[in-house]
Amino acid sequence: MGTANSTTSASRSKNKLHTKSIQDRILEVIVYVSMILVTVLTLYPFLNVLAISLNDSVDTVRGGITIWPREFTLKNYDLIFTYKGLITGFQNSVLRTVIGTVLGLLSGSMLAFVLARNDFGGRRWISMFLAITMYVSGGMIPGFILMKDLHLINTFAVYVLPGLVSAFNIFVIRSFIDGLPYALQESAKLDGANDFVIYWRVILPLCKPALATVALFLAVGQWNSWFDTYLFNGSNETLTTLQYELMKILQSTTTSATNSQDASNMAERMAQVSPESVKMAITIIVTIPILIVYPFLQKYFVKGMTLGAVKS
Amino acid sequence: MKSGNKKIVASVLSLVMITALVGCSNPFATDSSGDHLPDSGDGKQPITFTYFSEDSSTNWNNMNDEVGKVIKEKTGVTLSAEFAVGDPVQKLSLIAATGNYPDLIAAKADVGKLVDAGAILDLTDLINEHAPNIKKMLGDKIVRTKYSLDDQAIYAVPTWSAVDEKKIRADAGFELQHRVVKEAGYPEIRTVQDYEKVIQSYLSKHPVDENGNKNIGMSLNADDWHMYQVTNLGFQTTGGPDDGEYYIDQKTHQATYHFRRPEEKEFFRWLNHMNAIGLLDPESFVQKTDQFKAKVASGRILGLADPEWDYGDGQNALRAASKFDQTYGHYPVTMSKEYKDTSFWLAGFDGGYGISISSTCKDPVLAIKFLDFLASEEGQVLNNWGIEGKHYTVKNGKRSFIPEVQERANNDSAAFQKEAGLGLYWNMMVHYGDGIKDSTGNYFTRNYPELLSLNYSNAEKETLKAYKAKHWKDLFPTEEDFQPRAYGAAYTISLPNDDPSMILGAKMKDITWKYIPEAVMSKPEDFDRIWDAYMAELEKDGVQEMEKIYTQHIQDRIKLWSAQ
Repeated sequence: MGTANSTTSASRSKNKLHTKSIQDRILEVIVYVSMILVTVLTLYPFLNVLAISLNDSVDTVRGGITIWPREFTLKNYDLIFTYKGLITGFQNSVLRTVIGTVLGLLSGSMLAFVLARNDFGGRRWISMFLAITMYVSGGMIPGFILMKDLHLINTFAVYVLPGLVSAFNIFVIRSFIDGLPYALQESAKLDGANDFVIYWRVILPLCKPALATVALFLAVGQWNSWFDTYLFNGSNETLTTLQYELMKILQSTTTSATNSQDASNMAERMAQVSPESVKMAITIIVTIPILIVYPFLQKYFVKGMTLGAVKS
Repeated sequence: MKSGNKKIVASVLSLVMITALVGCSNPFATDSSGDHLPDSGDGKQPITFTYFSEDSSTNWNNMNDEVGKVIKEKTGVTLSAEFAVGDPVQKLSLIAATGNYPDLIAAKADVGKLVDAGAILDLTDLINEHAPNIKKMLGDKIVRTKYSLDDQAIYAVPTWSAVDEKKIRADAGFELQHRVVKEAGYPEIRTVQDYEKVIQSYLSKHPVDENGNKNIGMSLNADDWHMYQVTNLGFQTTGGPDDGEYYIDQKTHQATYHFRRPEEKEFFRWLNHMNAIGLLDPESFVQKTDQFKAKVASGRILGLADPEWDYGDGQNALRAASKFDQTYGHYPVTMSKEYKDTSFWLAGFDGGYGISISSTCKDPVLAIKFLDFLASEEGQVLNNWGIEGKHYTVKNGKRSFIPEVQERANNDSAAFQKEAGLGLYWNMMVHYGDGIKDSTGNYFTRNYPELLSLNYSNAEKETLKAYKAKHWKDLFPTEEDFQPRAYGAAYTISLPNDDPSMILGAKMKDITWKYIPEAVMSKPEDFDRIWDAYMAELEKDGVQEMEKIYTQHIQDRIKLWSAQ
């Protein structure tokens, strides 16, 4: 929304022979102020979480932490990293994110390519079939039974296979392909390209912006999900994921704080880290990889917007 | 262009291979996870039971901890355990619906789902024939583990509630900062008037703290469900035991929605009075829990009426800042001396949550024997104290923890528990609670009165000394002052959500949570009017019907528990 505003104001000032009227200046100020406000509003909670995660947990109780830790400590992170299973979890999370995203993009874009072709007769039927899954889901228990009958329980494949075809992502890519001139495909055909070559060498390179968007959806979804680990692979330590391990840590700090079983616990609790602080540290740990990936994908978003603008 | 194409094809191919590899290797992984079996020395066939628990256990180490190894050796049983994460009900419903039952299941409040699915065994005969320790521990309380009046089977070995327990710690009642009672010269703090007087006199002399911020006479935490901590004060100050939202007449066993007792009206009138004279924090009903804790941590609140687990974090911050005279002592405050503080009126053994054996269990007899070993004195000492020579020593018949081990347990608790396994099996065994001695005259748990003293600060010791008490418990009426309740404690009766008393209860809760803050914060002359309106609304919405239904639940439980 923000970028749209600023571009319109920029183009308007160009129209008026590069001179800025008072109105334009006021508008500019309003735009800048509101953009700064939005930035602060979105950045502050994150910095606050970061500060609390780096602050001594006993001190945090006193309140008043804003964007800077008052008593710096790494104890909160220290506690989290003492749990084993994090490394296996991290490996699996990375694996499922990479494999799940790449395979998801391939299968999604192939299906979208087919559905975008006018000469494919079943496209309406299949689109409708896909659309239904966006509104109606089978529910947890039937889903579990299905996975069980497919012998996917206790396998890594259960992280990847069920999510390969997602209706929403396919529609995003398909509508992007619909926007491309069909003449491109026809001329490629005249040059002797078969369907796969058209898909691979003509459509895919042009779809990069849509693919980047879908890749982000897929990757964030894969990276953040823990519930499928719990449902399908909960008892298998070699298949654990990072989010699942972190969830377990979070839960155990919460429960150990509420029911302290033995007396030594009272002393322990003093030294221990409070659930709030652990929660904040976990939040930071899970967000950082996404923060790292985001800038690399972002250039495609910008490209996507400008591309669309030129065409229309 | 061509080479680029090849690269892509190659990477796709390798990806496909990786997935294929991962996909293939996993079926074997499931099998291999189960075969860390011990070489059983005494000829017992080693067996692995699958286990699901609704509670989490992050330090679980697949029984490769020191205590776990001993248990494996003694019983030949290894548990392949899974612990719930997030909402346990979902996973349990899956288990019940799909028929994939683990051998042992700790379903806690959701055991009914398994009963309905026919997923678990009636353990009555198994306990009778194969579990002498469990039988001995439960004694005649075994009736309390029966499922219901209509279905008197035992579906779970009760491993959550302590069979017998002496509460050694006062952790509730009313609290006052040590400096407040010190300045008043340690008068007796027994009634709300005593409590009010010391706060009043301290506050008039010290209206602000050293930074010029206002001191606060008394503050409450009523954030969301913490409201119960405020409303519970109603029965707590008028001699009623904790029976949830009800007051149960001990003779007739009639249930009354506890706010309807005239005595409690007087308590809330007193709170209203505290507000009118400016001793009650005006933010009491609007502050969030973290704001409340931050206030406690600032040391400005002179008096509380809150359980220690709630304000403990704030108090820890005070301790860390060495402001020990601003930490709190516990006092048995009631409306007048005719009422006794009921903190030590224990709920008693409630049967309650436990471990069930599934109908698909590989070997139910071995499973019950495994649970029976854990319930033995040997098993309990093993879980609580560890291994002799390694974790504890016995000198002159007195068992004590090895100091280095204790230090490790304090400073590196997670890693220590994972390695040693102490406490990991607590909710798998029928167990005794604190303050109960074993056959050698030592306590079963590591939680005993002598240990508490180690934790007292100097300010705390000074106050205790002035009141001629060793522990805060000594100021309170003892367990022996109360008759055990024939129904245990009413809040342990678990009712389905669609029970009429639950539905009505939710309605009453809404009314109460609206009117109590209003009544307390109103002008004293309006109090009666608001209270009358509150009572009228309760009656209009069917409070009497709710009481009638709940009375029936109480009577049913008494009937079940007195059956032989």
